[in-house]
This record gives sequence, structure tokens and C-alpha cells, in this order.
Amino acid sequence: MHNQIASTLNSKVPGANAQALIATIGDSSVLVEAGKILDVCKILKSEGFNVLQVITGTDYADRIEVTYSLADFTSNREVLIKVKLSRGDGNGNNKETLPKLDSVSSLWRAAHFQERETYDMIGVNFIGNPDLRRILCPDDWTGYPLRKDYVVQEKYLDMVVNPAHKVNTEDHMFGKKLKEQIGDPKKVSASWKDSSGGNADEEAKDGE
Amino acid sequence: MSGGHHEENAEEKILLGDMEVLKSDLLTLNMGPQHPATHGVLRVEIKTDSEIVVEAIPHIGYLHRCFEKHAENLDYRGVIPFVDRMDYLGAMNMEWGYALTIEKMLGTEVPKRAEYIRILVAELQRIASHLLFFGTYAIDLGAFTPFLYAFQDREQILRIFEELSGARLLYNYIWIGGVWNDINDSQLARVKTFCDEFELNLKKYHDLVGHNKIFIGRTANVGILTPEQCYDYGATGPVLRGSGVKWDLRRKKPYGLYEKFDFDVPVGTGVKGTVGDCWDRYEVRVLEMFESIKIIRQVLEGIEEGPVMGKVPKIIKVPAGEIYLKTECPRGELGYHLISDGGKTPYRLKIKSSCFTHVSMLPEMAPGQMVADLVATIGSIDIVLGEVDR
Repeated sequence: MHNQIASTLNSKVPGANAQALIATIGDSSVLVEAGKILDVCKILKSEGFNVLQVITGTDYADRIEVTYSLADFTSNREVLIKVKLSRGDGNGNNKETLPKLDSVSSLWRAAHFQERETYDMIGVNFIGNPDLRRILCPDDWTGYPLRKDYVVQEKYLDMVVNPAHKVNTEDHMFGKKLKEQIGDPKKVSASWKDSSGGNADEEAKDGE
Repeated sequence: MSGGHHEENAEEKILLGDMEVLKSDLLTLNMGPQHPATHGVLRVEIKTDSEIVVEAIPHIGYLHRCFEKHAENLDYRGVIPFVDRMDYLGAMNMEWGYALTIEKMLGTEVPKRAEYIRILVAELQRIASHLLFFGTYAIDLGAFTPFLYAFQDREQILRIFEELSGARLLYNYIWIGGVWNDINDSQLARVKTFCDEFELNLKKYHDLVGHNKIFIGRTANVGILTPEQCYDYGATGPVLRGSGVKWDLRRKKPYGLYEKFDFDVPVGTGVKGTVGDCWDRYEVRVLEMFESIKIIRQVLEGIEEGPVMGKVPKIIKVPAGEIYLKTECPRGELGYHLISDGGKTPYRLKIKSSCFTHVSMLPEMAPGQMVADLVATIGSIDIVLGEVDR
């Protein structure tokens, strides 16, 4: 199905450069050129994909990937469309320095809120969105929390973020002490993140 | 507020006999963040022309805890208690969706008994969640009694869950590969008794509320959504079904053992007003509770002996790749978009919440309504702000 969608897109949108990424585990997707996303979505909507389910932004070291999950509620199909963007500068609160992408809110109104969330969390400037404001964070928040290099601001409106007296250090210390005492994290519970105390062979066996 | 100056002018103009002056300034009102009818910390900025809403702008984020960032720093098992805290009224369904996502990537086989228990708790949770909707919706519209009835029955479910998992609301019960704890025969017997009693009760409740003249007057022909609007905004769950679309993931993309089960998908038919009004959304939820009872009865008949936990590696490493998996939760479709780089923690876990989508529909539904009808509309889309803000 993905190959077929990719070839349709290539024939109908010049320069879309659609490529089917077939996965053996999980879901396959179609990668398209970022500049052509609006045209690509127009074609897909006319092909029957009437619902935009979600827009996911993912931050990688060298790029940002935005994934559109489209669904066809009449004939029960789903497809993931991906674009790659440069990272831009996501340190401040300036829309101009962010990577730019055309908004698809003219096609599905679901895109309006989804794009606002992606802008707020990952920092992508959706050109053409009617009301691109932060949605979950306050309007004057700086930085984009789901970027991998995000650092929480120390002060927000003269309030200290995460003040020391409100962090439950006792709890943290208790867990740390317990871990040191037990030695083997697996003895306590299955959900320890660190396996440093465990047997390396056993871990390798279990991990496979 | 327009202030005294404007009123003086208005008086002058009325003397002149100019009808234009009856058009007054718009009044901006804040509904929330602390408001009993918003079911949480939702703020709706409404612009009103006397009693009529001209514009409604939802402001969300008051409960934002950024679980997606938390998930990137936790191992795969550690995420489960966090997903509980999104829709805290449908925690079992939240867990199940997450567990399914990871299992599908790992290729884990879940034992039969665990699958049955999962369906059992998920459907009980659906009833508990819809009961809370039933009670609070009646309160929104001015009836207090149904709330007390609904909570009596909901309490029975919460007690069963408490015995099963040790918690009343946030369970951490469905684990990757199965469920945490086995269910025993006396608990199953209690579920059976509950079903028998509740089925009779629910009929009474539906007669009491659903066919009440005042209730119908408040909900019929209010907040109408067409299927096209639902598709445009991506609405799912009872909101979409209320508009007459027969779309239920338990039927359309069966997960677990739902394929084997016999149940109907109720849709709005516009009995009391127009298809897709508040009454239809109410009725869909009530009828869904009857269907859930049907499913639970089949679970009680079919449940098999056996283990409740499948073979899962002690340290879970999901192979590199991505998956978008959605399940049918009480409030609509919940999607997990997991992107893994092969490590011990998710690289990115995006959660698609149906309540977030439904909140975005308020600017579409509100204009032209009376302020009191806006309360009925917000109640009828049944949002939980923990899931909206994550």
C-alpha cells in the first residue's frame, strides 16, 4: 500500500520525492519533501483520507521529523506521512528562527490544535495556521520542552522553577540507598532503569 | 463591561427611535479554570451578546505535566503509572493501549487468561467512566439525584478494582505481557452479581434521566455535530457515534479477543431531536454500558485457567522502529505513537488524546448557543482534563 501511495504522490505532485519506508517491525511510512506537504495532503485527502489523527514532532540530533497520521474512516485505512526539517534555533521564544512548514489546517481543522501542540512542544513554525500560539505551556515560556537539548528555565515570572524545598529529596535518597543495599536491582522489582548491579550474562540472555 | 458612557449614548439613541442601539457590546466572560461545569481546570473564554455565545475560545494546559518528556527518561515498564494519570477515570484502558503498543513491537504473546481479564477490567472501567459521565452530566443540568445513584454502582466497580490491584483509581494493573495479578473465583462471582444488579438499575436510571421532559428539553437539538464536522476535527468515540457513524475500534480494528465477542455498536439516531445532538451522545453512552455488560457476561463464561503473564525479557528493549496504535477508550480513541531507537527507554512517545480533539471542537459548537446550553455541550463531550493536558 505504501509503495502505491508513494508512486501516486510522485506522479501527481511534481517534486514530492515520495519514498516508501517499509518496516519489518511496526508501521511503515511515506517520506515526502517538506516543502510539498500541503500539496501532498491535498492529494491524499482527495484519495479518501478524511481524518487527520495526530501530528507528531520528533527531535533528532541533526533534524526534526514531523509525522502526520492520516486515516480513512470510510474504507478503514491508515498511513503515516513523514517530512524532515532542519532543527533551526530553538533556544528562545522566537518563531522566525524555527524551522518552517506549511500548515494543513485548511484541509483538516484537526490540524489547528495539533499544529499548535507541535509548535509548543517541538518548535516548528507552521506557516498559515490561523492562530499559532502556545497551547500547553504559558505564552511567555521559553524553549521547546520536547527537544532533546531543552533546559528548563531557572526562573519564570520571578518564580523559581523546581525550588529545592519542594523537591522530595528524601524519597530520592531512599531509593538510592535501597539500590545500594540490595546490589542486584532485579531482586527488588522489574522496573529499575539501571542494571549496573546485575549479572551481565543474565542480562544479555534476558534482553534477547 | 462597556461602562456608563456607552449606556448614556444608548439612552439618547433609544429616544431617537434608532433600533440599531439594541445591539449592545460583546461581554467577555471567563468560564473556569475553577468552574464546576468544566469538570476540571478548563478555561473557556466566551464572548456573549446578552445570553447568546458569539465566540468561545478554550484555554488548556493548566494540568500539563508533560508525560511525553517523562516517558523519554523512564524504562518501558516505568511509563505505565504515568499513562494511568492521563485519563484518571479510564486508567485501565490507558494502560491497555500502552501495553498493546509495546507488545506489538516486541511480538509478545499474551496468555489467554490475561486477555480475558484485560477485557473484563477494561469493560468494567468503561461502565465506571460512563457512570461518572451520567451522574455529573445530570448535575450540570440541575438534577442531583442521578449522581448519587451512579456513584453507588461505580463504587462497586472501584471496590472490585481495589481488591484486584490495590488501588481505586490509578491501578498499574495491566503490565506488558499480561496483568499483574490473577483474579479469583470469588471476585468473578462478585462481578457476576454486579452485572445482574446493575443491568436492572441502569434501566431505571435511563428511564429516570433520559426520558425526563426537562432533560430532553435541555439536551435535544443542542450542540449538534454532523459526521462531516466530526471527520474534519478528528472526533472519535461516543462523540462520533452520537453523530450516527458506526465506528468502533473494537469492531473496526479488533485488538485483544474482541473479535470473538458478540456485541452491538450503538449509534445516535436522533430519537428526541436531531442526529448528533447532546441527547444522542448521552444515549450512546448509556447503551454502551448495556453492551459492556453483555461483553462481561461472555468473559465470565469463557474465561480459562492458566498463567496471567507472558514471557517478557526482564529488561525490555524495543527494536528500532515506529508504531501508531490506537484503542477504543471510554472517551474515544487513544493513540500511542512510539518511536524507538532500540534502547531501554522510548525515544519519543506521542499520545493522541481524544479529549484534546474534542476540546478543539468547542469553537465550532458554541457560537449561537445560550450560555446554559454551552454547559450542556461541554458536559456532553465528556472531557477529562488530565487527558487533554497530559
